[in-house]
Amino acid sequence: MYEAGTNWIDATELNTRLFRVEAIRAIVDTQTETLRRALKRMPAPEPQPGFVDRALANAAREPATRSRPRAGLAHLAGRWETWIGAALGGAVATVLMLILLRPLDGVDQPVPAPMGISMALNETRAIDVLIDSERTLEDATIRIVATGSVVLDGFENEREIGWRTHLDRGSNVLSLPVVARSTGQGQLVAVIEHEGRTRRMIINLTVRDT
Amino acid sequence: MFLKKRARPTHADAAAEFDNLLRDHVPALYRAAYRWTGAVDRAEDLVQELLVRLYPKLDELRGLDRVRPWALRVMYRIFVDQVRRERSSPVQFGADAREDSGEDEGHEFIDPAQGPVELLEQQLTQERVVAAWESLGEEHRVVLSMHDIEDYSLPELSEIMGVPIGTLKSRLHRARAKLRDLLATERFQSLDRV
Repeated sequence: MYEAGTNWIDATELNTRLFRVEAIRAIVDTQTETLRRALKRMPAPEPQPGFVDRALANAAREPATRSRPRAGLAHLAGRWETWIGAALGGAVATVLMLILLRPLDGVDQPVPAPMGISMALNETRAIDVLIDSERTLEDATIRIVATGSVVLDGFENEREIGWRTHLDRGSNVLSLPVVARSTGQGQLVAVIEHEGRTRRMIINLTVRDT
Repeated sequence: MFLKKRARPTHADAAAEFDNLLRDHVPALYRAAYRWTGAVDRAEDLVQELLVRLYPKLDELRGLDRVRPWALRVMYRIFVDQVRRERSSPVQFGADAREDSGEDEGHEFIDPAQGPVELLEQQLTQERVVAAWESLGEEHRVVLSMHDIEDYSLPELSEIMGVPIGTLKSRLHRARAKLRDLLATERFQSLDRV
């Protein structure tokens, strides 16, 4: 008999437990190795032709003559054939334009840095969501979810609205009237779904009692 | 005896030397950047930013025994800064977290009678691994990429990432657990374009 804390267990049971621990460890090790092999098989592309030459040459240039990297959020848009940008404007005048460029357009052009979006309590503001598609999308679904301190004007009792629509190739602008209903944080989430694939954009908003 | 004055290298010489020191490493750095970011253009931007930062450090580079881990460390810091900046942005873009309704005809049901290793093998189609990888957070992608794919040891990673080994071990453990969890429980659609 062996003493283990305040409990007594016999040698056979102890051996059984140790054997189980060893068996579990062996399974975990095998799982880890299996996972590792799968990760190593995961494709990672080589740099595009010419990239290494360009990048090395660009690094050696004087700062003023360097081509600029894509800035802000443009790189995120570059992942998708269709991307979503947001243009935010006030009721009277456009305050801020945050537009994500197409991947090819964005290579050498700076994109304005995103700004914090604050609203005054009870303010209604149109937030334009620009959906730019590189091809026509039939039967796409758009869902808009407003959470926290903001709601969609006319849909005060519905946090989520959705509908099926047709998206043209190029720019499609969706104007969302947002009402700041209480102070604090809010979010506006726009989700575009097409043929089982989904893209989502989140806009964080702060409502202040001013 | 006169000390021979060392000729100041011309800009062209410096550029050529920089090219010579870094060229062989750029593809590997790019692949690492791609695994961390999950996107070609982001990987290109990250590597470009790295090279821009390294060029003024040519003297330091010249004296290094191993350029790649050093460059990787600089790239990691740039990446961390970028991620922090993005997280503080009011507008975030990302793949939708897919709700698992269990109603999708493409959903693959896992046989609970199988052992854990067999289950894992079943889940490891390349498409699913890639989809799970893209769902991982940046922190997990980085540690798995450098340790499990590129085979950097924990002491090397500790040096590159500036993180204690104990922290790295638990981060690695959490990253693997998260990946297994994603492979086991999520329904993966092809994470492609709308």
